[in-house]
Amino acid sequence: MVESCAEKTYAATTITDIVAGARISRTTFYKHFEDKRACFDAAIGYCIGELQAVAATAHSPADQPGDAARKAATAVVEALAAKPGLAQVLTGDAMAVDPQVIERYRRATIPALEALWSENAGKPAAHTDPRLAFGQAQVLILNQIATGRLDRLLELLPEVVYLTVSPYGGHEEALRQARLAGKSESRGAVPR
Amino acid sequence: MTDNPEDLRQWRLPRGRHGLPRELVERSQRERLLAAVVRATVANGYESTTVADILGEAGVGRESFYELFDDKLDCMLAAHKILADDLEARVRPTYLEEGPWPERVRRSLGATLEWFAADPEAARFFLVELSTVGPAFRATFKAEYARFTKLLDDGLGEDGPNPELTRATDLSVGAIMARIYEEVVLGRATELPRLLPELTYGFLVPFVGEEVARGERERAAAG
Repeated sequence: MVESCAEKTYAATTITDIVAGARISRTTFYKHFEDKRACFDAAIGYCIGELQAVAATAHSPADQPGDAARKAATAVVEALAAKPGLAQVLTGDAMAVDPQVIERYRRATIPALEALWSENAGKPAAHTDPRLAFGQAQVLILNQIATGRLDRLLELLPEVVYLTVSPYGGHEEALRQARLAGKSESRGAVPR
Repeated sequence: MTDNPEDLRQWRLPRGRHGLPRELVERSQRERLLAAVVRATVANGYESTTVADILGEAGVGRESFYELFDDKLDCMLAAHKILADDLEARVRPTYLEEGPWPERVRRSLGATLEWFAADPEAARFFLVELSTVGPAFRATFKAEYARFTKLLDDGLGEDGPNPELTRATDLSVGAIMARIYEEVVLGRATELPRLLPELTYGFLVPFVGEEVARGERERAAAG
């Protein structure tokens, strides 16, 4: 499903494409999903779950909140860079199919982020709106796709780290973490 | 032939008028079709909209349509471009006025929110329907995104900030797009101007930090 959407967009994807790609029969497809949309929703849900797991295992409880957020954001961007088709579907196609899909990511991500800065079960004060940061990251990736630079997703690492840290860590801390992320990126993770 | 965005928004010519000079007839047909594609796609979605729907909405014949446009997508993208031109024409002068940069940002953000709030149908067409056209979406997104990041850069001026982040401009343009998009999807376009204080703040922070942004947010809230 994800592969076909990345290749030819959701609108142009047919059940035939999906079953051919997955090497299953039509009957098997309909045993699992009611229709194309149900399959797409399940695929998006699965991908979000995978990315959450990637983020959660990227840091340890001993990390300072800013460091933990930087590591989680880095791991997610690296995972997306390894599977560009996924990034494309999550930021582009998913919006065309369901404009509120972003709400699903947020519900999956913001509480985890907030928890990093929570001490003694108190809610941290927000410096900037985490919901807005999410939209900004999405637009950033969307533009990378639109300009054909999906293979250079790691370029965006400093900005994505900034957006991840700034809501609860504040602007200055976010800049510091973005610098750290920029250094590790220029150490040659990916050729410019 | 020039396109007047006001006509695109308000065009309601009586159908079947005759005796006008050819150029005027063509121009009015084009404008009616552009207005019709906005209304039809917002009402039915891009995929379900047919050329016949657009013709019915515009009161224009099929032959005239194909003299002016290649197909439904061509017509849709032409309408999209006119709206983008109009938005830029509305915001650019405000942004490039004299004055401190954060203040100019606040004023032009205000103009942007007013523009989207003035015509919720056009706002929905402009931001939401475009993403459903398939591969052509990416090219249009790229062009419009580049247009508005360039506008932002053009107005940074000598007194403008020098942000540490390479893509501070992208973060700020992204903040406006993402936030307006969300309100438009939820059918709350008319309430957009209320967002001015928080959006001014979110826009400014990556450039100037929290303190300066807070000051401008207060000025936005004071009106």
